[in-house]
Amino acid sequence: MGTMAVRAKQMLPTMKSTRILWAASLGLSLLLLSLPWLIRLDGHPHADWQQFLGRFHPLAVHLPIGLLVLVPLLEVAGAFRPALREAAGFVLALAFASCLFALSLGFLLAYGSGASGTGVTRHLWGGIVLTIVVLICLFARPQWSAQGAGYVYPALLACMLIALVWTADQGGSITHGSTYLTQYMPVGMKRVLALGATPSASFYAKHIHPILDSNCASCHGEGQAKGGLRMDTYESLMKGGKDGLVIVAGSSAKSVLFERITLPPDHKQFMPAEGKPPLQPEEIAWIKAWIDQGASPTLAKLAGVTIREELPEVTIEPVADYSSLMPEIQKMDQGQGAKLKAVSAKPSDGLVLFTVDSAGNFDDAELAQFQKFAPYIVEAELGRTAVTDASFDTLKQFTHLRALHLEETKITGAGLPKLASLSHLSYLNLSGTQVTAAYAASLNSIKSLRHVYLYNTPAQPAPAAKQAPQAAPVATAAAQPKEKSAQ
Amino acid sequence: MKQHPLCTDTEHATNVLDLAIPAQVKQDWAELQTRRHFLGRAGKVLGWAAAASLLGNRALRGDSYPAAGAPAGDSLKFPNFAPRAKRAIYLFMSGGPSQVDLWDYKPNLAAQYNKDMPDSVRGTQQLTGMTTGQARFPVAPSHWAFKRYGESGTWVSDLMPNMGRIVDDLTIIKSTNTEAINHEPAIMLMNTGNMNAGKPCLGSWLAYGLGSMNDNLPTFMVLQTKLNTAENNQPVSSRLWSSGFLSSEYAGVGLRSSGDLVLYLTDPNGVDREVRRKMLDAVNEINRQTYQELGDPETNSRIAQYEMAYRMQSSVPELADLSKEPQSTWDLYGADAKEPGTFAYNCLMARRLAERGVRFTQIYKRGWDMHDNVTKIMPIICGETDRGCYALITDLKQRGMLDDTLVIWAGEFGRTVYSQGGLTPDNYGRDHHPRCYTTWMAGGGVRPGITYGETDDYSYNVVKDPVTVRDFNATVLHCLGIDHNKLTYNFQGLDQKLTGPVPASVVSGLLA
Repeated sequence: MGTMAVRAKQMLPTMKSTRILWAASLGLSLLLLSLPWLIRLDGHPHADWQQFLGRFHPLAVHLPIGLLVLVPLLEVAGAFRPALREAAGFVLALAFASCLFALSLGFLLAYGSGASGTGVTRHLWGGIVLTIVVLICLFARPQWSAQGAGYVYPALLACMLIALVWTADQGGSITHGSTYLTQYMPVGMKRVLALGATPSASFYAKHIHPILDSNCASCHGEGQAKGGLRMDTYESLMKGGKDGLVIVAGSSAKSVLFERITLPPDHKQFMPAEGKPPLQPEEIAWIKAWIDQGASPTLAKLAGVTIREELPEVTIEPVADYSSLMPEIQKMDQGQGAKLKAVSAKPSDGLVLFTVDSAGNFDDAELAQFQKFAPYIVEAELGRTAVTDASFDTLKQFTHLRALHLEETKITGAGLPKLASLSHLSYLNLSGTQVTAAYAASLNSIKSLRHVYLYNTPAQPAPAAKQAPQAAPVATAAAQPKEKSAQ
Repeated sequence: MKQHPLCTDTEHATNVLDLAIPAQVKQDWAELQTRRHFLGRAGKVLGWAAAASLLGNRALRGDSYPAAGAPAGDSLKFPNFAPRAKRAIYLFMSGGPSQVDLWDYKPNLAAQYNKDMPDSVRGTQQLTGMTTGQARFPVAPSHWAFKRYGESGTWVSDLMPNMGRIVDDLTIIKSTNTEAINHEPAIMLMNTGNMNAGKPCLGSWLAYGLGSMNDNLPTFMVLQTKLNTAENNQPVSSRLWSSGFLSSEYAGVGLRSSGDLVLYLTDPNGVDREVRRKMLDAVNEINRQTYQELGDPETNSRIAQYEMAYRMQSSVPELADLSKEPQSTWDLYGADAKEPGTFAYNCLMARRLAERGVRFTQIYKRGWDMHDNVTKIMPIICGETDRGCYALITDLKQRGMLDDTLVIWAGEFGRTVYSQGGLTPDNYGRDHHPRCYTTWMAGGGVRPGITYGETDDYSYNVVKDPVTVRDFNATVLHCLGIDHNKLTYNFQGLDQKLTGPVPASVVSGLLA
């Protein structure tokens, strides 16, 4: 007997009131578990008052989250300050009440607004399970100190935390979309976590899917599928919703999707709904062309649609802190001559070297004096100065240089290969210099270069004297800047 | 301190502290005026100076480094973010160019010739006194055909064959709209963000915020195009490039359209550089004494302007010397560009100013105010501007300057689709129209090859993506790295700004 009997006595309800409490809890748990069957989420909107109250769910839900995180903290801290452990019981009870409240509002929201879909279902079950786990915690807590069963309550708390995080994540995915957290995750981290499938080269995958994903999928997607429509995959998009097809391949005029996105934005049926921003005119044009040309999942190019190929982003490296050099920079600013100016109010955007005040006198020796500022200069305006090819020995130390202006200088190009080490250089202006085609070709090794200007050089002579009459335009292809794609 | 000579109250000087003005203004005044404050501050400065010399140079610097002599806008606050454009060229088409005849192609109008414009389109629109008495408002379709150009397939009037060749570089805004229907308020609104005179214009705000890139030339320059007698020329005035309540250092400096670009810039015979320098030093000294006596900051502006003029004595002749321009320049801009004051010359000059680090150049081209005789005058004006605009954009592009230069083309309003006065198969007139007009931008920061906004079938109302003057100016500032809500100047108890107190927004659809 001994200890076992004592424990059994502790575990089982003895007083009448406690017994009623147990019965009520059991009943409540069963009620919660059967709720999804008692009131089915049928995907149709119901009474407005339900939605009105339900929309307080995102607000109310944060109270139990805060309280539930607090409970384990209080229990742990209670080891050092017993008064805190006493508070934990009260906080737990409060958390349970708020769980119940948030759950009710959440259910009203889902039922009232006609939300359905796997995300909604998961979130609902998460909420139910969490509430029940909290209830069990509430009962298990008095056993915290009981011998032999001391681990039950901490284990329950851990379960509760896991259920909390999972449910919250499901809820967040419904409102913000499933890619909300990972969208701006550093690429390296994504790779480690193996997120993001390899993009396909089709027009749908490259242009249509991203539009639908960022504008539509939060209501018509994995999380919730309003009107029974999911737009997060090609198959589900083409399958349509409860009311039938939304895309009729070959005819945007017959496609409900196209009709809804082109209504006046204040129209009741306009999509995206609920005050979300309308699609861009360009995006609408792409969708129209894509539907009209068969809504194919594989077609790579559409007739009549030219898309500015997005060049890969050149990483803009922030420059290091140069505040210790500020007095010198300021002193230059007050004199007449070359000066350094901040690109913007953000110091890490770096400095621009302006020489236009003293262009004629600014030579290689002057430039060399800027060596100590080398890593902070992102743009050097050396046009019309007296610099020569020898300047490249200094310039190659400008490690963060993004734009280099050397127009109308005595540069011949012999030093250009020295720029190869500048990994951020994207703009190079050599107009009006003596750079030859051979030297210009050496620039091909600089992968970051996007814009190279060779107007009026031996590499690209100015167009011969040809009159460009008003009425009959003459092409000036030769004068076009050399655009080098950095693929 | 002596009373300022401009003060009209010579009998009893009012005590500023007794006036019914905000406490902050009194405080500002007191900070400038009171002896006690001066002594207090001097004491503090001496104390800090002593501490600084004990602690060494680094100790007190902290993180802010206000530069003496920097523009009042504090060059370290602006740009607020890395800008796409370092400078801008604004081609101002004064008078209100007709969007119906230039850019806003409405093929269905041909069938509407001489039919009355439906009242439903005009709605409650108030008309000017010039057409409000007309018995009917007959639709006048454009006299000119339109063609599609470029990869973007943009429709451009046959009046502008050269512009057609560069449509893929333009960002065309068909939905610009203004609140003013008459020239002066509309042109003030476009340039200063306010219909009333007295506010600084766009160029002055930029000069104030961004400061100079070249100390030898003004930050903001204005070029006037010579008048053409065939045109109906509305006057433009220096109010349009005024610095308003900002220091007059930020006002636009105009170049003359004939003769010397700047008057009296050449020293008279017998006066050499050294004599001039000595004279200026003496004048500056006298001005400094005046400043100490009266404390008027405009005296300092005057000293700065004298110094600028001295430096311009060498920088302007170099600017005006076109002898080193290669033949390809003349092939591009046309022979007109050799004659000072023509639109082509001004476009070439704008490129040269941009090369020399001038932040903001504004070219005024008048004569777009065609209340009658459209078919006769339009070809003359377009003949001048079409080639010039085309040449400027093409030249900037081939020289690699379009990447960081924003070019803006705009008037103060558009023109009505209905004819003012008699409509004949050969001729018509058009009245002022504020509800929609076409503008364009090109270069640094804006998205090339797009047309933004839509108007209705009569080019009368905006039906999609309206762009107000406020939004237009906010977008221009954005391209130059400025948050329009942050570029402010406290005046008359209000943080004044270019876009005014009514909320404005940057039009993201225009941005690259």
